[in-house]
Amino acid sequence: MAAAPTRPVASMTTLLSAKGIHYRYPKQTDWALKGVDLGLSRGEALGLLGPNGSGKSTLINVLLGLRKPQGGSVSHSGERRPVIAWAPQDYAFYPRLTCRENLSFFVAMLDLPAGQARARIQQVERTCGLNEFADKLAVHCSGGMRRRLNIAIALLQQPDVLLLDEPTVGVDPQSRAFLLDQIRQLVQSGTAVLYATHYMEEVSTICDRILLLDHGQVLVGGDLRTLLKGADRAPAFENLEALFMHYTRRSLRD
Amino acid sequence: MTSRGLRQALHIALKEWRLLLRNPHGLAVLFLMPSAFILVMSFALKSTLTAVVDVPKTGWLLEDVGPVAKQWSQEWTNVHGGIRLQSRAQLEEALRHRQVLAGVIVRPDWLDVQGRPRADRIELWLSNRIQPAAASRLRAELGYSMLQVQMKTAAAAAGPFASVLLGEGSSADSPPAAGMPVIRYLYEIESGRAMTAVQQSVPAWLIFGMFFVVIPIAGVLTQERNDGTLARMATFGIAPGVVLGGKLLGFVLLNWIQLLLMLVVGRWVVPMLGGDALYLALPTGWFLLMVFATSVAAVGLALLIAARARSFDEAAALGGGLNVVLAALAGIMVPRPLMPPRMQVVSEWSPMGWALDGMQAVFLGAPDAVQVVPKAALLLGFAAICLWLSWGPVRRHERAE
Repeated sequence: MAAAPTRPVASMTTLLSAKGIHYRYPKQTDWALKGVDLGLSRGEALGLLGPNGSGKSTLINVLLGLRKPQGGSVSHSGERRPVIAWAPQDYAFYPRLTCRENLSFFVAMLDLPAGQARARIQQVERTCGLNEFADKLAVHCSGGMRRRLNIAIALLQQPDVLLLDEPTVGVDPQSRAFLLDQIRQLVQSGTAVLYATHYMEEVSTICDRILLLDHGQVLVGGDLRTLLKGADRAPAFENLEALFMHYTRRSLRD
Repeated sequence: MTSRGLRQALHIALKEWRLLLRNPHGLAVLFLMPSAFILVMSFALKSTLTAVVDVPKTGWLLEDVGPVAKQWSQEWTNVHGGIRLQSRAQLEEALRHRQVLAGVIVRPDWLDVQGRPRADRIELWLSNRIQPAAASRLRAELGYSMLQVQMKTAAAAAGPFASVLLGEGSSADSPPAAGMPVIRYLYEIESGRAMTAVQQSVPAWLIFGMFFVVIPIAGVLTQERNDGTLARMATFGIAPGVVLGGKLLGFVLLNWIQLLLMLVVGRWVVPMLGGDALYLALPTGWFLLMVFATSVAAVGLALLIAARARSFDEAAALGGGLNVVLAALAGIMVPRPLMPPRMQVVSEWSPMGWALDGMQAVFLGAPDAVQVVPKAALLLGFAAICLWLSWGPVRRHERAE
């Protein structure tokens, strides 16, 4: 396994926090997010869970600054704004460019000196296992390779905070295991990861804390082990899926 | 735009080029289609745009059996050529098989009681393929020829003295072609060179091809928007203006490559196939201004359509359809001289019309600022409005709204 981008040793400094986030889409009466609080610390992985339409992607967009909340605020600690990168659920790159051309294009958007840009491309190719397929058109890559490329583009920014929106959808078990390994290594190297997914076992594997959203509100959040043992008058749960179903009920969603 | 923004825009432009090189359909639309149009139209319009048109080969059917009609048709065929036919069915057959392009039927009682020819007793049948200018020439020649018959009849009635005044030899003959007045279009007078179809076709179809950048632009922009690539670019700190600027830069440069290809086709390929060569000694400053203004307007409109359309299919249908309508309106598909006067006025008020006016002034004549600058200004203003209207949707999508 290749080394993840270098980062200072992990500490539990809160890098990014959101307080009382309210967001409503234009021309909608219902709030997509209602008073959501969240904190992300260096070197931790926070699992963001919730049924479809619960507000996970909206919250990620707010944290990225792509959507301006009508209420609440997003803030950061420290002197400089943390670098926040995002791997969206869709393949947000150019299918008719090769993997390396995609990386070259996005690294050029960072306007780095040529040597530094080359080094970053080599680094993320190693980290995401793309060397072998670097000259392959993205459209001809497998689902797993595309997912890796999607994350590799985000890693070009050498982020302090990495927001991952369903990063393993549609990939085979081998690619999934590879991606989870990479994410774990990123966390160990100090990156704060927000991991939005429907796959409970992935969250159980890599996240220390979870935040469970539904109808734009936080149903429950905190240390995963504590929550599984049963906290705040809730019963103990056999696994994360049982916890999820307990809080979100069994009714079908969008 | 900052120097960082300029560098980012340059990389966006290079990315657009790279994507276009892997898009054979986009390349075909931008390069093959206008080249093919230039080749086809340079030959199709070869004789339409010239001032001198030959009298078409004519078939004569004499239903009037009098000697005057017989002599008239004989004198006509001596001067202009043509054949005698025996029935309307024969004439129809000759037209259908293109033995003749027109038919003159001299109906019974062609001469009135005073022996004067009557135009309403003449029927003119035209082939479906006859050029309008050739049909006009035929009508004019027939009118003139009948006037000569009338004068001869009057002279015969007046006796020998009138015959002397009219002159013996001139009474029957139509004036030879060498005796026709010299006809020159204004651009020929201004530039000192004859109008050719290739000189008309190259600027016209170049403009058409330039406006078709909507297809590759829409292909990439709708994908960027729908897959979240625009939003991702925002997280890399790319402003909407830089995205639009990069695309504008990439496709304006591409338009210059289109221009080079069209000039090569007009200058060397068309003559190789037997057509006229494009005259290339153009006024450089005005030429560059018009190409730049046309290019910016074309890319601006393409960006607007691509930014506002919900899908590539919508953008391609809207952009392609709009281009065809604008081209028809502007006189690119049907040259302006073939349009009725009101339509010619309407055709001056569209972006392609402004481009065509300015380009034709450059390609066909000796332009001055009055001919070129207002058209270039209109195109640049149009481009600015399009870019301004595109900025909002791109910004919204960069902000994932």
